[in-house]
Amino acid sequence: MKLLTHNMLTSHVKGVIKGYPLLIKATEVKVNEVEFNPQFVSRMVPKLEWTALIQAAEELGHRQDLPDELIPDYDGNEEFLKKVHRTLLEVEVMEGCLKCPESGREFPISRGIPNMLLNEDEV
Amino acid sequence: MDDHVEASPTKAFRRSKDEKKLFRKQIKSSHILLKHEGIHTTTKPTKHLVVANGGLGNGVSREHLSATLTGIGELETLVMPPHKPYAFVTYRSEESAQKAHIDLNGLKIQCGEDIVTLYFSFVESVKSMEEETVPLPEGLTIVEDFVSLEEEALLLTSIEWPSICDQDTAQKTLKHRKVKHYGYEFRYDNNNVDKDKPLPTGLPGECTPVLERCLKNGYVSKMPDQLTVNQYESGQGIPPHVDTHSAFEDTIMSLSLGAQTVMEFRHPDGRLVAVVLPTRSLLVMKGESRYLWTHGITPRKFDMIPAADSECPILTVSNAVTQSNLTLSKRETRTSFTFRKIRHGPCCCAFPSACDSQGAHSAPKPSQPAPPSLPGCHSDAARLEEQYVHQVYDAIATHFSSTRHSPWPRVCDFLCSLPPGSVLADVGCGNGKYLGVNPQVVAMGCDRSSALVSICAERGFQVFVSDALSVPLRSASCDACISIAVIHHFSTEERRLEAIKELVRLLKPGGRALIYVWAFEQEFNKQKSKYLKDTNKNHRPAESGESSVQANKSLEEDNEGERHMSSYKGTQGKLSVHTNRTAFNTQDLLVPWHLKDGKRGVKGKENIKETPHHQETESITSANAHSDVSRRSELQDRSKEIVTSVKYDQNKSESSSAPVFHRYYHVFQQGELEHMCVQVPGVKVKSSYHDQGNWCVILEKD
Repeated sequence: MKLLTHNMLTSHVKGVIKGYPLLIKATEVKVNEVEFNPQFVSRMVPKLEWTALIQAAEELGHRQDLPDELIPDYDGNEEFLKKVHRTLLEVEVMEGCLKCPESGREFPISRGIPNMLLNEDEV
Repeated sequence: MDDHVEASPTKAFRRSKDEKKLFRKQIKSSHILLKHEGIHTTTKPTKHLVVANGGLGNGVSREHLSATLTGIGELETLVMPPHKPYAFVTYRSEESAQKAHIDLNGLKIQCGEDIVTLYFSFVESVKSMEEETVPLPEGLTIVEDFVSLEEEALLLTSIEWPSICDQDTAQKTLKHRKVKHYGYEFRYDNNNVDKDKPLPTGLPGECTPVLERCLKNGYVSKMPDQLTVNQYESGQGIPPHVDTHSAFEDTIMSLSLGAQTVMEFRHPDGRLVAVVLPTRSLLVMKGESRYLWTHGITPRKFDMIPAADSECPILTVSNAVTQSNLTLSKRETRTSFTFRKIRHGPCCCAFPSACDSQGAHSAPKPSQPAPPSLPGCHSDAARLEEQYVHQVYDAIATHFSSTRHSPWPRVCDFLCSLPPGSVLADVGCGNGKYLGVNPQVVAMGCDRSSALVSICAERGFQVFVSDALSVPLRSASCDACISIAVIHHFSTEERRLEAIKELVRLLKPGGRALIYVWAFEQEFNKQKSKYLKDTNKNHRPAESGESSVQANKSLEEDNEGERHMSSYKGTQGKLSVHTNRTAFNTQDLLVPWHLKDGKRGVKGKENIKETPHHQETESITSANAHSDVSRRSELQDRSKEIVTSVKYDQNKSESSSAPVFHRYYHVFQQGELEHMCVQVPGVKVKSSYHDQGNWCVILEKD
């Protein structure tokens, strides 16, 4: 699971109001090399929940001194975009779990795949 | 036979023609090896040769091939990858390899009742495979040589089978294994025992010494009081099942007499362990292996088992598979004595999901399950979908994936029309076929089937397992969503509507969703869909007369096999089973999926004995690379599958049965999908069309 995906995922346990962002408890993290496309990353930035991204990156120890708040002139700032690229697309949680911040429910991540299936009583 | 016979001048012309023919065939086999198996051959002589048609997949045994090859020179290694139509041989010297290449090329060898032609080509090297040990299921023990030869003979003669003079029994012995119960009668209609009606005779006296040995060795603490004797002829088996919890206590012991077999254990999470049960061995199942794993014997005439020369005694086939130390073993008549202790009172095991005392539905019956009726509420619907959609997809995932390799053009059009940087959710992504179509978008896929999701992950896509009715993505997080051939698996209108609403929830304002569902009207505008088209389209004649390395047909989309199941119409409200490749006559139905073998068009009574049966192994990357096998060989199913809702096809045109799965579908009538979308607030239907047997809609969020 890449952090880009994590940024979109939310807890959908019944009754939970604040299920986002999911906390990450990672036991295995991989860093891959992914081709850097500054335009692509620049397009992604406005679609992200920036705070959630920073929090997740922090949890995994891959924050790389990214700022707490999104800088206004990120487009064209290649150095910045490269860091974002790495955080979003190169860091991958292979084993661990995602935890609902409100209910505590844990969703396992195995071989990079989060299992978000709820039980009958949680839906 | 040998094409390089010394010829008289009069034969010279013919020989050169034969040589040319052989050369052509050899080149052809090289091409096929490259195209379908990724094997690069070279004309430069080396120590290593690939032997086309000399593989386990062709029914060639290790012993036979080894004997043929060592005739030329000393072997260094012989690698026979399971299910493959080739083998790799490395000779000690290059000279031997060269000699083999000349002398053995085009050699025809007898393989059971068939003749196989071997083609030799040089290869640079032979890749070795990774080690992977698979443990036995928890609680499982195999005790070898538990009884002596004398005891075995005694036990076998102690059974009094009913006489075969009456027609009924004769008919039955052709299809089913023979069964006899002692102590208590086991009933196959409810998979339980009549505990109040013990049988007049207890267990045969001949069993006493064996049972006392079991007690003494501590395999059981109580003397068993029920015995079921099963006799399996070659080609017979027993479908996977868990012995009913409430009927019997924990430990179950089974003695294998007369022959060995391979028993397959399956865990609900998809793990499959194939275990060799040697002759005169005792199988002890307790705990997880007794209560949770299913066990079954696939009806086959040959098993793949570890070769005798393996370094360590390997009982599970999987361990040997990765080392290619396998050989074919012909099945003989095996008789099993299964000893059990009747349970009085409910079962309180640690595996409630499989426990009939603790609320689980009883284990899948060996016989045909009753046709389900249409569900009235969500929980009924969920249960129906669990059995007729989710479990089926998990079981057929690899085969299914191999038939879903061509993205539909109009779906691609939609995907490619999305602006770069769009966030796309593919809800019900299956094998991920659409996730890579437009690399400029951020594609995330989710599916209910972990098996299919794993296939996507292996292809490098970002995916997760989830239900389409509750997608764990933020609302308004997606620029686009697709739902291709998904919603027709929901068994009530409310659930289908909920699925659409969920897609809409994910969309940002202005975002678009594309939905495809199977159409009731397969013929539209006088154009028959591919589903209805000529059933023989896939059957291409063999490319070379003798070669068993055939380029197999690429499986067409939605092709679920050509064999027709005799469809039966249930009573009102019951789901009927559809006949594949024909028009639909009801909207709610079960569609058969035949877990596939390589031979098509094999029908008719004359094939009763000879029909092959093997289940395809799939390589994830090359969906088209299937190898045909020589008619007599039967191979083991390597895919890790849960086999539930399986009905063994009792079709007369096969002696061994092919598992048939039923998938639930609600096929949509014209306008039905559109009508449903109109009921969803906040969206507009932008486009509505029929595409290749599907009704399709594009929605746009306000």
